[in-house]
Amino acid sequence: MIHKMRKSIFWGFCALLLTPVFHNCSTEFEMNAENLNVPIAYCILNSADSFQYVRLQKTYLVDQAALETPPHPDSMIFPGEVVISIERWQDGKPVETVLFQPVTDIPKDTGFFPTDNHILYRAKLKVQPMQKYRIYIYIGDKEKVMYAETNTIGRLTVVDPLDIPQRKISLTTGTNYISRWQPVQNAGIYQVALRFNYKETKDGVTELRYFDWPQGYTKPSSAIDFLSSEISGARFMHLLAENIPVDPGVVREVESFDFAILSGGMELRYYIESTAPSEGALLEKPVYSNITNGVGLFSTISRVDVTGLPASSVTIDSIAYSPFTRELNFLDHTGDRDSTNRF
Amino acid sequence: MKITNFWMLLVTGLLLLGGCDPTDNPHGGGDDPIDIKPKATGTLEIDFKVPYSYSLPPNKVLRADLSIAKGAEELYKGRFMRVANVYNNKAKYTFELEPGTYYYQAGIVCIAEGDSCSASNFPGGQWGMKWSIGVGVVTANNTTTVVPQFTN
Repeated sequence: MIHKMRKSIFWGFCALLLTPVFHNCSTEFEMNAENLNVPIAYCILNSADSFQYVRLQKTYLVDQAALETPPHPDSMIFPGEVVISIERWQDGKPVETVLFQPVTDIPKDTGFFPTDNHILYRAKLKVQPMQKYRIYIYIGDKEKVMYAETNTIGRLTVVDPLDIPQRKISLTTGTNYISRWQPVQNAGIYQVALRFNYKETKDGVTELRYFDWPQGYTKPSSAIDFLSSEISGARFMHLLAENIPVDPGVVREVESFDFAILSGGMELRYYIESTAPSEGALLEKPVYSNITNGVGLFSTISRVDVTGLPASSVTIDSIAYSPFTRELNFLDHTGDRDSTNRF
Repeated sequence: MKITNFWMLLVTGLLLLGGCDPTDNPHGGGDDPIDIKPKATGTLEIDFKVPYSYSLPPNKVLRADLSIAKGAEELYKGRFMRVANVYNNKAKYTFELEPGTYYYQAGIVCIAEGDSCSASNFPGGQWGMKWSIGVGVVTANNTTTVVPQFTN
């Protein structure tokens, strides 16, 4: 009798143990949490522009790759009332308030835009240096106000290059160019971008073309008079060869160099650092955001352009005849092409 | 068994003999090893001082051009071998060159407004330039320093 009872208890115990095992054998599980429609806003105040822009949308969730099955526009844009305003503060009080208006006619840069009806908000506003700006975004659908503030940066003074037509730019193997500027108050990051302008003639038709080469970021250092970014002549020659297609029917002419020197606020620096590839053990970094009641970025940039700088004769000849670029059919500084010339 | 050994020995021998063929050097030179020696160079240092002008503030006269040519004719025809990037806050410019005689031209530009540039003998007034042309002799493993001179 006792033996029978023990046997029953044993089998009952086994059944109890196995029950959760069978219940857990389902192969389906939820990978994504429920979409919370979190508001996302980006606004980078540009002191070189007389208009400022805000991009506002919300988080969306698609089952497959977004490029293959783009989300419905309603999943990205908040319906109902959206009010965006910006304030400039001085001595603890707002001295200027401007409202943003929705626009859809701005040409889009390259990138992923799942809908044509992509709303940007625009305000006519000339940003003042060294001021505090606050942005408020009211979203009626969520009955929520997003808020952020930033301090605009000081005026950017470029030391090199100067807009002197007699000063020609040399960029060849062995000759680098150093761009210099004075440190700017409130700036957290700098970048120099080089544009190489050239003319391309094919079948009697001449077109202006360019090749853009953004340099690496420069971060401010303490107690120095100038910040600088060195542009490699050797790398420039290689990049021309890699980015301009070889076409025997084309004749090209060097036109000029344009420099753009940009400085960005501290928030922009944190954002760039948080989205940069991870190094070390921490592979997943949280993306920086300074928007209260949402995610995104509100920061500022200042930009100085020095354009139309002529290339030195050595640079023009080097592009025409160097082993890397001679197949690109650039004319030399005399406007000729000598097939026997080697640079 | 003996036949197999004979054939193996023959094939091995042929392979060894084939491996002894001298291969052509793709860079030329036949059997001799390539003897590449870097050419000896010297340094041409140009101490590019901007001259002081009594009638102009110092920040209104700037360095504008510094070019090197192999000969006087090349210099006048604008066939330079090197063109330096000149800056306001850098006075000394160096060029690593093979030994020989080189010609240089250094140019300064006046950017002052009004007739200040003309008063300081810059031809054409604002954006007018003054030039200094000279010679530097470069010897191996030495630095030759030249100082361009401008007339007032």
